[in-house]
Amino acid sequence: MKPLNLQQILTDSVLEIRGDGKAGGGLVLAFQSLGNLYLRDPQIHVQEWPFFSSARRGANIRSFLRISRRPIQAACEVTRPSVTVLMDEGATRSADFAQGVLPGGTFVLNTRHSPEECAQHYRLSGRVLTVPGDDIGTKHLKAPIGNVSVYVTVARAIGGFGIEELVDAFLQMLKKRHVPQAVVDRNRAALLATGESICEGVFDETKPGDHAEAEFGGYGPLPVGAQTALRLSQSNRTADYAPSGFRLRFEDPDVKCNGCAACITNCPEGIIRWVPDPERGVLVTGVDVSTFCKLCGECIAVCPENLFKQLPFEERWEEVVAS
Amino acid sequence: MSKTVSGPIPLEHRTTDSGEIYPGAIDLERVREAHIPVYEQREQITADGNTAAAIATLQMWRCILYAGFPITPSTKWIETVASHIAGIKGGKKRVKLMEAEHAVADYMAGAAAACRDLIFPTATSSVGLDHMTETTRSLGASGLGNTMIINVYRATANYPLCIEGDPSDTLAHRDDGFIQLACRGKQQIYDTILQAPCLGMNPDIMTPTMPGFYGLKDSHRNARLTVEPDREIHEFQDAWIPPCPLPGLINGDTAFGNCVTSRWFQGFKVEQKRRIERVFELLPKIGADFERRFGRFGLAFFDSAGWPDDGAADLAVVSMGPDFGTFESVREAYGARAGVRVAGIAVRLLTPFPRAAVRRRLEKAKVVLVVNQAHHSGRGHLTLDVADALADLTKPPRLVSAFAGLGGADVSEGTWERMLEHARGALDGGTLPPWAAFHEGVEL
Repeated sequence: MKPLNLQQILTDSVLEIRGDGKAGGGLVLAFQSLGNLYLRDPQIHVQEWPFFSSARRGANIRSFLRISRRPIQAACEVTRPSVTVLMDEGATRSADFAQGVLPGGTFVLNTRHSPEECAQHYRLSGRVLTVPGDDIGTKHLKAPIGNVSVYVTVARAIGGFGIEELVDAFLQMLKKRHVPQAVVDRNRAALLATGESICEGVFDETKPGDHAEAEFGGYGPLPVGAQTALRLSQSNRTADYAPSGFRLRFEDPDVKCNGCAACITNCPEGIIRWVPDPERGVLVTGVDVSTFCKLCGECIAVCPENLFKQLPFEERWEEVVAS
Repeated sequence: MSKTVSGPIPLEHRTTDSGEIYPGAIDLERVREAHIPVYEQREQITADGNTAAAIATLQMWRCILYAGFPITPSTKWIETVASHIAGIKGGKKRVKLMEAEHAVADYMAGAAAACRDLIFPTATSSVGLDHMTETTRSLGASGLGNTMIINVYRATANYPLCIEGDPSDTLAHRDDGFIQLACRGKQQIYDTILQAPCLGMNPDIMTPTMPGFYGLKDSHRNARLTVEPDREIHEFQDAWIPPCPLPGLINGDTAFGNCVTSRWFQGFKVEQKRRIERVFELLPKIGADFERRFGRFGLAFFDSAGWPDDGAADLAVVSMGPDFGTFESVREAYGARAGVRVAGIAVRLLTPFPRAAVRRRLEKAKVVLVVNQAHHSGRGHLTLDVADALADLTKPPRLVSAFAGLGGADVSEGTWERMLEHARGALDGGTLPPWAAFHEGVEL
């Protein structure tokens, strides 16, 4: 499997990049940063934009980036990328981040796993780069956000920039946004730490039929009033939208729920369980995280008794690999 | 008749048929001097469509009051404007956050009537524009060409709800009386907003403007943007915006109309139609001057792609918005493969629709494929406009109507090729349905 020459594509035609992640996870900022980086060269044209719907934080989102030395005309989504990015492994529960990637394409994953493990698990053929961006973010930015690391990793995969230029471009963007100097310094540390954490390899693990572009088969029957059936949470499997490694939990051993019902009215998915209560009006008894919860955090924010929490949840794909 | 009115500030005023004029009420020179430039020289920056729109309005010395109500995620125009203004020490510009969109429109009507020589912009989308409707109708008729609603296209309040780029909102407001300008790409957004007031504030037109661009597809798409120095923008706009001949303070006749009988209402509406149709004459002149000054294409009735010198395309596409770029990217290869000459136009002046210019461009084409991107109960808004434009030709091209990208859905290269193939059926004299819808290379 010979990896694609990304610099050649950028020069001869249009380098197309696609990313999958979750709203609030830094994917959009990573792509904007890459766009800014390449626009520093006046000879290079860039198009960068996100796709998201009305779902809140935690929902799957996509970002697109086109880079070329020629004017870019196409405005449609990128379906046959040369480079694909996985910002949050949780996104793969609902979307195939490798779908339609050109043979020999480059895969950039924000993960603790090795390139070999990822290639086997996701059946990837091409160049695979991994970076533990969330860990780097936690260490330097005080939050498990891998945008800084993904930015550096994608830029390194494409080539053409030294680490000093990558750091400078990113920090300049932060300064334009009037980010406090302390935050700028932490980002600098995260940027520099990323370089030595990137691992890469070339693999050929794709089986026939893997990651094929899905053919659109029409909408099928849509009866009048079908909006209920099309509810985003159902069609988009928003239970899969929770950030990788976390789940919502409701705990009320001392029955502190005061019946305010703020969680019920604010939950966009209607998954708060409750029973009528003669004193309180309603008594919240739990939350159904198995169906639609995408950890938007509304219930956590509004509960006056702090009965909702976001807790670590063990991911299981290592077991799949082992089996 | 001119006299001085006593009061806290003595004001000269004159009585006209349209009301009282107070020439010295606002010292425009002082307003101009108070402007703090955003850019002193031409620069290249990275911006999305919303930011490009915000920068354009911030650079105009005539914009001093920015009224808005946040409509997220379609447009962060008001947030961008507010953030910039908050960062300027000693600046005189002000942001007014209103309680809802209808209040924004009311505020604009009052402020714009109070000083017709300043420009009052806002930005909105979808239901926000719908909420303004009562006032937009008044704005359209009032002669307040100094108001500008930047509309980020998004499906109108709908079932089911969709927040992506679909021009059904602006098309639902075709008859509000605004000059509607469709943009594609950041540069065109920025450039159009700089030119729009020149059109709307012309004394023969005096009609508010509504520049627009697609939600997400352009509002959130980042690319390189060339920004011009404020000074040169001011010189350009001042060359085209003469002092307004109408009253400059609210006196009961200007912002909202009095109640009149049908006979007089009709008279005003006929005049309104005449005013807006003068755009056909003025728009190309403003566009040409913009191009001369800044070296980029200025306002035009439409963008063109692939037209042979004799204008005789086999297959001509009419569309609007950024998806036209995808058409451009497949046009040549498809034409070579299919053995047909393919050309197209992306409409930029939506209202008033440039009938004569469109007819001249399309009259020698054999088949015209019109791609509509908003729901319509018939063959499509754009199709009807094009049909109207071609109606008086003795041998008009065959008109093929398509829908794609409804709700802002992606219009892929495959979809364009499928639509072109569909329209090619008409070249051979085949029978086609009144309309067909397409997505991801498939006819629905």
